[in-house]
Amino acid sequence: VKYMIMMFGDAASMGEVQSPEWIREMIGDMIAIDKDLTDSGELVFQAGLTDSSMAKTMRYADGGPVAVTDGPYAESKESLIGFWIVDVESDERLREIVGRIVKWSGVVEVRPLGEAPTDF
Amino acid sequence: VRTPVDDLLRELAPRVLGTLVRRHGQFEACEDAVQEALIAAARQWPADGIPDDPRAWLVAVAGRKLVDAWRSESARREREKTVFDLEPADTGTAADTDDTLDLLVLCCHPAVSPSSQLALTLRAVGGLTTGEIASAFLVPEATMAQRISRAKAAIKSAGARFGEVSTTELTERMAVVRQVLYLVFNEGYASSGGDRTQRTELTTEAIRLTRMLLAASTDLPQAIPETTGLLALMLLTDARRAARERAGELIPLAEQDRALWDAGRIAEGVALIERTLGTGAIGPYQVQAAIAAVHDEAPTDAATDWRQILALYEVLEGIAPGPVVTLNRAVALARVDGPRAGLALLGTLDDDARLEHSHRLDAVRAHLLELAGDLPAAREAYVRAARRAGSLPEQRYLAIRAAQLGE
Repeated sequence: VKYMIMMFGDAASMGEVQSPEWIREMIGDMIAIDKDLTDSGELVFQAGLTDSSMAKTMRYADGGPVAVTDGPYAESKESLIGFWIVDVESDERLREIVGRIVKWSGVVEVRPLGEAPTDF
Repeated sequence: VRTPVDDLLRELAPRVLGTLVRRHGQFEACEDAVQEALIAAARQWPADGIPDDPRAWLVAVAGRKLVDAWRSESARREREKTVFDLEPADTGTAADTDDTLDLLVLCCHPAVSPSSQLALTLRAVGGLTTGEIASAFLVPEATMAQRISRAKAAIKSAGARFGEVSTTELTERMAVVRQVLYLVFNEGYASSGGDRTQRTELTTEAIRLTRMLLAASTDLPQAIPETTGLLALMLLTDARRAARERAGELIPLAEQDRALWDAGRIAEGVALIERTLGTGAIGPYQVQAAIAAVHDEAPTDAATDWRQILALYEVLEGIAPGPVVTLNRAVALARVDGPRAGLALLGTLDDDARLEHSHRLDAVRAHLLELAGDLPAAREAYVRAARRAGSLPEQRYLAIRAAQLGE
């Protein structure tokens, strides 16, 4: 089953609240996680995002050009900073993977991807 | 992993394509046929051995693919007549014509978008497969295939003809070709993710193609100095590759272990730029190569000849002014006249709209504030820069700098 694992936070402010050692260890572990998921054949796609201050929100405007405002869609301190799409055999395996990520982020949101209907 | 067969195929690709296009016209169809022939060779040669005349083999196979494609097309249109007669593959004198230049100019046609110019150049001149290009640019293969086919359609509808460009126009178009090759290099060098080896592939290809461009430019004397400058710049930059990253963390020039620098690449780059400067019109690639040479020849950061670097940035600002050049000049100025002098120069860029969304002004300011001993302001500037960094390795580097100042 394919899941999206979403990590929230603020990468830039890491420099204000964490030690250089903590950041270095986190970077090393993130690289190792990506490599392990690639090697196991479970990684579909992963990406890190730039800071939420780089976000623009674009809205439908009736008859006019798209309305653009600076900033993220949802105002919150913690916004999406990275995600993985993994294809795993079991919930147990999913929890194993997530366990390595939440060590650094505290919390992630996990959601199954919508799938094609099976009995059509 | 690159094999000798891969190397041979990439070397032969533009020559086979050139032969076909000369013989039959229709760049678009020939390019597809050559790609199919390369894939067939990559499958067969490792098992069956390399043919006695590999180039003739590729020309013959690509020629057959071309006939097949045209036959099925004409059948679809219910046409009766044979579209053309396939000539036997010859390896005579005509086969030795170097079509590299004409192919590069066609792939870098102004009607094609920059990202497609890169992709098409790597495929048609570099001999890379669509899959290889897609993985280097971190996009799905189907996306890259579509990008390449749109690029070819754009060239076709622009009515561009192979080998029909005058010498004057060719010299002008070389500027675009150089820019495309430098973008390929930077795409690999300033990587922002993906598999390290796939990215290294791009820098290696850019250097190989620039060598090909230089070798093919003997009849364009005016283009030679800048193309040589570009090759030297790539070599002198790539020489530091092994030292610029450790465990996913970027290492700035000043802190790199210079023992890891590639002495062979440095020697070649320095020799190229030394023999080129003064032989023709000065250009931005030559000056940037000269700056890279000064860095690469310094045994330590402290022993760097910053006065010479500052003078070279002044030359560069004169011929190719821009905010990024000024940023670099500010760093050099700080090393010559002190960080406050550098910061004053940065102040002139505060209202520059071209840097509005860039992290670089804050990153340089943070560095100079740190040199000046104003650590709280430096830390704030590093965090601001981290927020705007478009590449994750840079974002992490800037966050670590900020964290270090908090200790």
